[in-house]
Amino acid sequence: MGFNRTLRSVPFYRDSHGNKASSGPKQGNLVPDYGFALQNGFETILADTRRMLAETGESPFYESVIAVLEAAMDFADRYREEARQKGNTKLYHALCNIPRKKPASFYESCVFMKFLLFTLRCNRNTHITLGRFDQYMYPFFEGDLKAGSSEESLLETLEEFFISINFDLDIYSGMQQGDSGQSMVLGGYSPSGEDMYNRLSELCIQASLELSLIDPKINLRASSRTPVQRLEFATTLTRQGLGFPQYCNDDIVIPGLTALGYAPEDAYNYAVAACWEYLVSGNAMDIPNLLTMNFPLVVETALRQELCRCASFDAFLDKVKEEIRRECDRLMEAAKIREKDGEFTQKSPYLSIFVGGCLASDKDVAEGGAVYNNYGIHGAGISTAADSLAAVKKAVYEEQICTGEELLEALSDNFEHHAELRNRLLSYPKMGNNEDYVDSLASEIMEAFSAYLNGKPNSAGGIFRAGTGSAMEYLFSAARVGATPDGRKAGQPYGSSFSPAITTKLEGPLSCIQSFTKFDMRKIINGGPLTMEIHDTVFRNEDGIRKVAQLVKGFIDLGGHQLQLNSINRDRLLDAQKHPEDHPNLIVRVWGWSGYFNELDKAYQDHIIQRTEFMC
Amino acid sequence: MKGLVFSIEEFSVFDGPGVRTTVFLKGCPLHCEWCHNPEGQETGNRIIRSRNGCLQCGRCEAEAAAEDGRLRYTAKSMALCPNHLLRYCAREYTAEELVRKIAKNFHFLNKGGGVTFSGGEPLLQHEFLTACLSLLEGKTHRAIQTSGFAAPEIFRNALSHADYMLFDLKLMDETEHIRYTGVSNKAILQNFAFLCQSGVPFVARTPLIPHVTDTPENLTAIARALSSHGIKAIELLPYNKMAGAKYALIEETYAPSFDTSAECSPRTEIFKSYGIAARIV
Repeated sequence: MGFNRTLRSVPFYRDSHGNKASSGPKQGNLVPDYGFALQNGFETILADTRRMLAETGESPFYESVIAVLEAAMDFADRYREEARQKGNTKLYHALCNIPRKKPASFYESCVFMKFLLFTLRCNRNTHITLGRFDQYMYPFFEGDLKAGSSEESLLETLEEFFISINFDLDIYSGMQQGDSGQSMVLGGYSPSGEDMYNRLSELCIQASLELSLIDPKINLRASSRTPVQRLEFATTLTRQGLGFPQYCNDDIVIPGLTALGYAPEDAYNYAVAACWEYLVSGNAMDIPNLLTMNFPLVVETALRQELCRCASFDAFLDKVKEEIRRECDRLMEAAKIREKDGEFTQKSPYLSIFVGGCLASDKDVAEGGAVYNNYGIHGAGISTAADSLAAVKKAVYEEQICTGEELLEALSDNFEHHAELRNRLLSYPKMGNNEDYVDSLASEIMEAFSAYLNGKPNSAGGIFRAGTGSAMEYLFSAARVGATPDGRKAGQPYGSSFSPAITTKLEGPLSCIQSFTKFDMRKIINGGPLTMEIHDTVFRNEDGIRKVAQLVKGFIDLGGHQLQLNSINRDRLLDAQKHPEDHPNLIVRVWGWSGYFNELDKAYQDHIIQRTEFMC
Repeated sequence: MKGLVFSIEEFSVFDGPGVRTTVFLKGCPLHCEWCHNPEGQETGNRIIRSRNGCLQCGRCEAEAAAEDGRLRYTAKSMALCPNHLLRYCAREYTAEELVRKIAKNFHFLNKGGGVTFSGGEPLLQHEFLTACLSLLEGKTHRAIQTSGFAAPEIFRNALSHADYMLFDLKLMDETEHIRYTGVSNKAILQNFAFLCQSGVPFVARTPLIPHVTDTPENLTAIARALSSHGIKAIELLPYNKMAGAKYALIEETYAPSFDTSAECSPRTEIFKSYGIAARIV
């Protein structure tokens, strides 16, 4: 498909500050409007832009769009000549047509996609996702089928495309190698209730099954109406151990996004950002991972300032909620500061072409040209926070095994001289075991967070949205928080995103799912999945596959918003740490993406191993 | 009516049809050499210690009492562990409490799955078992996983409260059975004969222990027995190489007399020759 690194020795490109080529001021982590590019071709877009420029008279934005379109076509021409000289006639012929014109075949549409991904990256847009690939590519797929192409040959083309997007990940990855952002969302329902899962959706899963590569990272949109056979087929992909598909629940996400102010047709057209942040496709310059609400830090602050003054647990809980609102205010203030730093204000005319609203409004994405300009705030460590509140309620107010002062002393001592107290704290109810005692506290926290933050205006003309994700904050945010009343020691990691604390002894997946589906998840829809590890032996026969699919079905029916299942073998992970050379292809899900185990920093490896200790 | 439960496993996928919760009742009259739940054998409760993460600080041992050459930890030992590594091996439940707990998962269980009572040997706590089964009647699908070692009236009574049974056939030769499990198989085979004509759906299961149960002689004898009762299917469970993992928890060592590193042989062709479908689980 072309458009890969041609010099194997190209090192990480670093700018004068020592940043990797993929870092620095840029926009990314969004879903471009690929359909617009594919359906029009660059010549039509260019002609339209020229016309708009003529109508406007003067427009630096349109002028720069024209310049980058011409440069991009010029680049494609040079590539075409190179392909001709190398004797790659197939690619040569494709490039005679695209990107200037609409693709004439499924192969050409794949080359066009590869070209777009490559040029966007050259434009320093990272974490460029694939969005609803099975929708915008379907016309080309269907066209070839009608013209007599066999499904096998189209699957082969699709696989060639999948392989091609796995090249050069060392250049394009974010936080850790493998964090490439190339997520793909399949299926989903239309506003008229039509099931949009099609034969191409199925072949995408098939291709991923056959290739077992980390990209694209597959997401499947499901709802209570999704046939269980589809979930079973998707579960065969889970069995591969790649850490996907990730499931998104249309029944929850669409009303959730609509409630945030997205037009229904956009809400129905949702996809995910690099990991799991819900984004509408093609017309949003949302920044869904701007900052993180560190829930346990909020609890810690409230403990230090208020615990000893609160006569009842309810009084203390009110103080925690107040602190959540104060922290929301601080985060919203910090968002302004980040904007002033220019992080998101560097113009990006090339990207703006593919973000709906920009061309029509004559504005770059950096100037608010997109239809949506919302900011998402993650919510990290929800379980640790809820478990801590439950422990405070039990230990200080109900059983009165210690006073507030004694608890604070044990925390500041990191439990060094308080093993007995810690054992009691560890024995109290923990989120993930379907106990209302603690799950209801998690709901209180989420309600306080989302009710206050959702819909508050940001300085980009959009709003803020509350979420349940943690990204790498399960390590970073956690490192900043001392010992917590749930028995967690200072600095210990949280569970990933919307998951139990990693030290919680779980009753099993049935209880776990119920703990994490109690809150009305439509209210907190920025994204962040429940992640569950399931031992790989469960998947060893068809019966096991059917049962795992029923778990997924149960999660969807109960109103869960996002589910990430990992087939995992703890012994293999431990062995891979000791003998990486024996496990070159071991793939694991990290937080919102899958990577090669051997390429992860040890802290991330350790987190994955630790969360398998009490796995379902 | 109270019972002692040493584990409740949600989403146990190999203990009967559909998504199930398996309840492990404590105590077993058998002592199979390959037992992978040794903490389920003893009838009483005790405090056990996990070795993973142990700091060797000695605080738990200082509060423990010696008994039959084994350490018996106390509640004080448990409270003092800095890493929370000691716990009661089992928990006492009333039948109502246990049923309430199981019922919390009916959303998942009542779509073709249900609950399985296993052990230990669940029939050892037969009064508690039947109390639970009665409470669950009409509410969910009820299975018993048993060694079949019980007095006939106990077995028949429990079976009358069950919708499904998983019945172990380990060794057909009585001497061998005594050698490897500690008990005779006479009552087991009688109960099996009763099960076969009871009309209650069931599955026979054989653990494949290398050179012990997976011998041609034993598997042929099992096939013949199934065939004589008109049974057309069996599940074979390959030896679990992790079987020894939990012996340290109960301060014992895993020292079976057979070769644990040998591969087991399913010999499905033997069953096939008797017209029996053997499924390896």
